[in-house]
Amino acid sequence: MKKVTALLMAALLVFSLAGCGQKEEAESKGEEKKTTEAAKAETEAAREETSGSPGESGEASGDPIKIGLTTVLTGDRSLEGQYASNAVELIEEEINGAGGVLGRPVEVVIEDALGTDVGAVNAYRKLAADEDIVAIIGPDSSNDGMAQSPSALEFEILTTAQGSSPTLRDMCNNDNEWLFQLRACDETLCAALIKYAVEDMGLESFAILHDTETSSADQARLFTEALAAYDIEPEVVVPFTTGTKDFSSQIAQVQNSGAEAIIGAAFQTEAAILVTQIRSMGMDVPILGSNAFADPVTIQLAGDATDDVYCASAWVPNTPNPKGNAFAAKYQETYGEECGKAAAQIYDHVSIICEAIERAGSTDRAAVRDAMNTIDSYEGAITTYDCRTNGDCGRGGLLVRVQDQKAEIIAQITSEKVID
Amino acid sequence: MNLQLLISGVSMGIVYGLIAMGMVLIFRSVGIMNFAQGEFLMFGGYFCYTYNQIFGLPIVVSLILASLSMGVVGVLFMRSSYWPLRKAQAKAIIVSAMGASIAFKEGARLIWGSIPVSMDRVVEGTVKVGTASVQWQHIAIIATSAVIMVAVYLLLEKTFIGNIMQATAQDQYMASLTGIPVVFSIGLTFALSAMITGVGGGLLAPIFFLNNVMGATAGSKAFAAIVIGGFGSVQGAIIGGLIVGLVESFGGAYISSTYQLVLIYVVLIAILMIRPQGIFGEKIQEKA
Repeated sequence: MKKVTALLMAALLVFSLAGCGQKEEAESKGEEKKTTEAAKAETEAAREETSGSPGESGEASGDPIKIGLTTVLTGDRSLEGQYASNAVELIEEEINGAGGVLGRPVEVVIEDALGTDVGAVNAYRKLAADEDIVAIIGPDSSNDGMAQSPSALEFEILTTAQGSSPTLRDMCNNDNEWLFQLRACDETLCAALIKYAVEDMGLESFAILHDTETSSADQARLFTEALAAYDIEPEVVVPFTTGTKDFSSQIAQVQNSGAEAIIGAAFQTEAAILVTQIRSMGMDVPILGSNAFADPVTIQLAGDATDDVYCASAWVPNTPNPKGNAFAAKYQETYGEECGKAAAQIYDHVSIICEAIERAGSTDRAAVRDAMNTIDSYEGAITTYDCRTNGDCGRGGLLVRVQDQKAEIIAQITSEKVID
Repeated sequence: MNLQLLISGVSMGIVYGLIAMGMVLIFRSVGIMNFAQGEFLMFGGYFCYTYNQIFGLPIVVSLILASLSMGVVGVLFMRSSYWPLRKAQAKAIIVSAMGASIAFKEGARLIWGSIPVSMDRVVEGTVKVGTASVQWQHIAIIATSAVIMVAVYLLLEKTFIGNIMQATAQDQYMASLTGIPVVFSIGLTFALSAMITGVGGGLLAPIFFLNNVMGATAGSKAFAAIVIGGFGSVQGAIIGGLIVGLVESFGGAYISSTYQLVLIYVVLIAILMIRPQGIFGEKIQEKA
């Protein structure tokens, strides 16, 4: 009897908590149902505007064409998975509502990459072993994407990488013909931000604060190299570990260095804490940051403290790109929150894979990979993609300044495609 | 710079002390280290967020309600993770707590989502203390934690309920023979432990933001605080927490910002080499 009572109490608490936390979500889902029909009509219209969109008209039928997605659903980086899952819902609805691909519906099969390289590889191999999967989208982390590379070669399946590191780009270009980087490389973005800081803002001395996890450490290195092009050495480089909450000791070192500006490289939560603490410790210097510093989550958490944050970002929800703008609006309308980069990326990855399948005219893995290399100017929600001759596809980003909790676009960043 | 480091070190240290105190209460009560204590911090933060941001209640009311809610969570945790295994080996209970820790984290993600959130502060703004800029919230954390620590001390040492809890902690069998309701006493201890840690979560969330993994690192630092202070000692947990906070703060500035956690464990090992039972721990004599 006592055990039953304990179980009942536990169940009651869990359900009441679920009720509290998901009240808003439930409301938004309810609204989502109401808006679905209207959204579908808008989607049809939007698709007609977009050149190269898969499918033309009519309902998709037959067995679904399956695309695999490895993303982080659980653990420390599950924010990525939340964005990705939401984006999958929207893109499936959009493509299938407009006739699917090759007349068949598209289904994105999601596997949890756990936020680790081992988890990413295991998730990848599970998907690749399914012969119905035509292509696989890798996780947001460059490191995890690189870990999946040998499996892509082994299974010979088109794999799109979300990571933006130059090492991953080189791997796509030189070592693995099955791997494509669908994002502007960090090398381009970091160099553009430093160029703006030095040439337009007239800044001369910098301190770098960066997370020690792979991609942030890589970005810190790229910022340092970009500064070296102007014969500038950072006054101080202060690393910190992921999950650090109190940055007093790191910021104190930066204060002592007398740097005119701070360069930061971190994920959203750490970026928000860092910016808040920098401002609360009385430092009004410009902050130049990696992608996450202008992310909607960072801006929402840190509020006014993000004023005067500059960022070379792959994505902001108020992007001038019409396709991106339409997707961001639909995401906001459906989920009641701003669209993050991870969602926009999935939208583009699924779209471009569908484009490759349409061009191949079949779901044969090799044919789809070959068709991918014929894509030369595909307009996505984030940027233009050029996959000719090698896997370095993503061509641009945005230089932004955060003011009044909004990312204002200063300029568009474009990198030229190097054709082999 | 040093004043800034001192204040941030004390405010972090006192929160580690609060978590460590919660762990010590459970350790004294049932002889098991609760490795899900960090998740009490996170869950308390989310309860506070729910009352403050979703129901729109003032932050102080939200903190009180969050603390009470955590009391219920503490009892449920005891009944589901400890009580069914109370006659099993300690290892089984520790593994059970570790499993509960994962369930708490993923449960929080399912309920509140993966996007980090924030909430109102007890006090907004910053104050200049000499050359240091200190957030009022840090001062609120120090003050609230100190009040909670004193209240727990008074509860344990000066009240009848405290005596019951202490008697149960010393010898459950003897306590039951004298008519003490052991289940009630242990349940109360778990509730109290979850309540004080949960308040810490509500206080920290506005400055460090809230996600489902916020308790993991804090929990490991609180464990270090207990070892430094001495297993089973409430005052040791507090002093240990402060030492951890200060080592983290000053060590990060003067030695290495990357290896703050390593520095904490270096200090821990050094203290254990000098005083294996921890600062306030008592030597355990083997029974003849």
